Amino acid sequence: MSRHADLDRRTFLKRVGAAGAGAVIASRLPAPDPASAQDATVKADPSARRGGTLRFGVHTAPAHFDVHQSGTVANIGAQSPMYDYLIRRDPRDGQTIIPDLAQRWEISPDGKKYTFHLRRGVKFHDGADFTAEDVKATYERIASPPKGVVIPRTPLFSAVTDIVALDPYRIEFRLKEARPRPFMLGAFASGWNIIVRKKTLEDNAGNLRQVMAYPGTGPFRHVSRKDKEVWIMERNPDYWNKGLPYVDRLEVYHMPPFSPELGSALLTGKLDYGRLLDPVSWRKAKETPGMTAAEFPQSVIQAVFINNKKAPLGDPRVRRAMHLALDRHALVDVVRDVAPMLVGGFVYPFHELSTPAAELVSKRLGYQKDTKAAVQEAKRLMAEAGHAGGIKNLTFLVRDAATFKLWSVAIQAMLKETLNIETNLRTVQISQWFEEAAAGNFDLGISAIVSTLMDPSDYFSAWYGKDGPQNYSNWTNPAFHDLASQIEREVDDGRRKTMVRQAEEILEKDPPLLPVSYEKIYDAWHNKVRGQNPSTFFGIYDVVRWDTVWVTS
Amino acid sequence: MRKYLLRRAAFGLSTLIGVSLIIFVVLRILPGDPLVAMFGLEGFAKLAPDDRARIMEDLGLSDPLPVQYARWMHDITTGSLGRSFFRGEKVSEIILHRGPLSAEIGLLAVLISWLVGLPVGIISAFRPNSLSDNVARSLSILFLAIPGFWLGMLIVLATLFWFNYKTPLVVVHLWQDPWANLQLIVGPAIVLGLGQGAYIARMARSCLLEVIREDYVRTARAKGLKEALVVMRHALPNALLPVITLSGILMGFVLGGSVAVEQAFGVPGLGRALVVAVIERDTIVVQNLVMLYAVIFVFINVAVDLSYAWLDPRIRYR
Repeated sequence: MSRHADLDRRTFLKRVGAAGAGAVIASRLPAPDPASAQDATVKADPSARRGGTLRFGVHTAPAHFDVHQSGTVANIGAQSPMYDYLIRRDPRDGQTIIPDLAQRWEISPDGKKYTFHLRRGVKFHDGADFTAEDVKATYERIASPPKGVVIPRTPLFSAVTDIVALDPYRIEFRLKEARPRPFMLGAFASGWNIIVRKKTLEDNAGNLRQVMAYPGTGPFRHVSRKDKEVWIMERNPDYWNKGLPYVDRLEVYHMPPFSPELGSALLTGKLDYGRLLDPVSWRKAKETPGMTAAEFPQSVIQAVFINNKKAPLGDPRVRRAMHLALDRHALVDVVRDVAPMLVGGFVYPFHELSTPAAELVSKRLGYQKDTKAAVQEAKRLMAEAGHAGGIKNLTFLVRDAATFKLWSVAIQAMLKETLNIETNLRTVQISQWFEEAAAGNFDLGISAIVSTLMDPSDYFSAWYGKDGPQNYSNWTNPAFHDLASQIEREVDDGRRKTMVRQAEEILEKDPPLLPVSYEKIYDAWHNKVRGQNPSTFFGIYDVVRWDTVWVTS
Repeated sequence: MRKYLLRRAAFGLSTLIGVSLIIFVVLRILPGDPLVAMFGLEGFAKLAPDDRARIMEDLGLSDPLPVQYARWMHDITTGSLGRSFFRGEKVSEIILHRGPLSAEIGLLAVLISWLVGLPVGIISAFRPNSLSDNVARSLSILFLAIPGFWLGMLIVLATLFWFNYKTPLVVVHLWQDPWANLQLIVGPAIVLGLGQGAYIARMARSCLLEVIREDYVRTARAKGLKEALVVMRHALPNALLPVITLSGILMGFVLGGSVAVEQAFGVPGLGRALVVAVIERDTIVVQNLVMLYAVIFVFINVAVDLSYAWLDPRIRYR
């Protein structure tokens, strides 16, 4: 166990260092001027081999076809290759924002106008010309969805008041107040915000849930699809980015995430590239000659929610005591053969604005390997709150999934042993968990929540905001809410970072939830697949297009 | 005969109506809704209550239960079976695409169960308490005790690690590529067939033990008939009746077991479609697939009843 734990920690520290360095470099980069932005467009590599088929295994089939309305990789993993975005994350590092359908962009000095200059000659798969009207229709739908349409990314564009097509190839987003540039550009570059045709939206009353393969401008075109089996695409010969994509045919297989089925399909060569592998298959792939394995963080936090409306859980001292009682390294280890995880606090541990993960695990109480000091402090807090003898009969609502079931038992034991807090586990199916959590029918509840961006302004309001949709703990802290509101509007990166650290301090003292761990993604591929290494990617939602990937045989 | 048939058909129909009501009611009173699968965790959390209500209305789940039930019955009678909540696919198309694979698995499993179970039962019965009988009995108890999905997982892992082998990932029909099709169905069929074969072997053994003590078997032997002829012509046909009845019942186990075994082998048959539909809470798909399984089960049992007369001329239907 210790050997793997050391290995994980080392890998983790290396990754954090690399991500931090990347983030620092990225933060130093100015918004691209027209020329540099144009230069940054991803170009075809003359040494890449053209042709062949890429077989990609990812997730189960999508529940519907509307990427904008979706929140799962089931959609984005399969459909992304058929679409483009306004701007995108560079597929070579997964982080740098580069031009896509917008050849270049300008941000007004006051930060209230984002003007995008669109490429000419881009065609949708049905032959129609791409213009600013399509971008306008797409983003008006995202920012202000029609009735019956729900788009999780809508809050990202809450500051946008007008979207104006200045001419067929220029579009301007007008904001009521400036937002941090990395946040806004990150929102535009989000892989969820695919550009769809205005006519497609009009023809389908703005709802694409049951419209399969609506035309995009992307590098691959729809060929056929067998539900819950495979989605087959072919190279778009009219793709605007000449020379791309490299492969002639893309086959996206729908396979359950973290399943031996996905792992075995990859290991036996029935797939060329597998995403969301289970740890056992991933380790096997890593040891297998001719295969490469990579890991990268995902925008998901696994957490225990504490119902603040139920005494004595409203007392911050009790919540902090529970927070300190968790041995997070042990919790990561508990699920090591089920799902890859890493230790973190209330802010994504791999994001440049948060306390560096190395500092977190070495210095901060509650995250260290040696839990003695944290447990001592936890006991002191419980005594101070008048619960030195513990708390009995708390209902612990557990989502029916392998990781949560394992964690709940471990957390139950940790709370009992350290603080004499007794919990009764109640395991329920996923949708019931959300219903019960929203209704407040729990004392403790374990689940995972996600965000679109790694930027705190995306999830501070959703996870920790007063009445935030994922604030299942019903937590409020006026000082934090004020600070979060300032962070959302602060455009100076340095000041913003300081404020995020202050927010972290508030969250540590008055925990809205108990962070259990952060999710990692395990990818592996046969070495004949070239042109992609996701080690520096942040999450699985932004770079899933396969336009720069080729196969050697 | 016709009267009997009509009576059995009416009985089958009333059973199916009962089953349909149970499926329908259970699926609607179970907690949870399909919107989590539809919108993902983030999307679901951000759905406003009136949006949830509107989408449930669009899906037809806000209508009164009798209206929903009547709509389903109408769909069944027109043969369309409705559409998936999510992607709008016709359930009938799902059945036509995946059904042949599950049907092949079921038929092959029955064939294997008979091919394995009957000879084992015969050997056990004609050499009671011998080594072969003891081995056969031990094996049959073993296969009765082992859950099919577990055996399936072991086979999948063994073939993966020893032979680096994995079955095809998508549906391949018999008429498209018989070899690939065989690869898909053979594993689940063997697992299900061996499980059933164990029941058949035990039933065949006990029935044959009774029959071979009958006067007509003794007479046949006294006439000087060869042992094989005694077994095949005199003992076996009379011992088969309970075995056939058991096979009909076991078909239900094949149908039920195929859901877990298809999942274990990763075979994209109807059983797997049912599992995914349950996870997604795609009510329309679940209720139609369960109903299909119920129809097949009832049909097989009626067919088994009718086969009695063919096997035993003394039986007359009234």
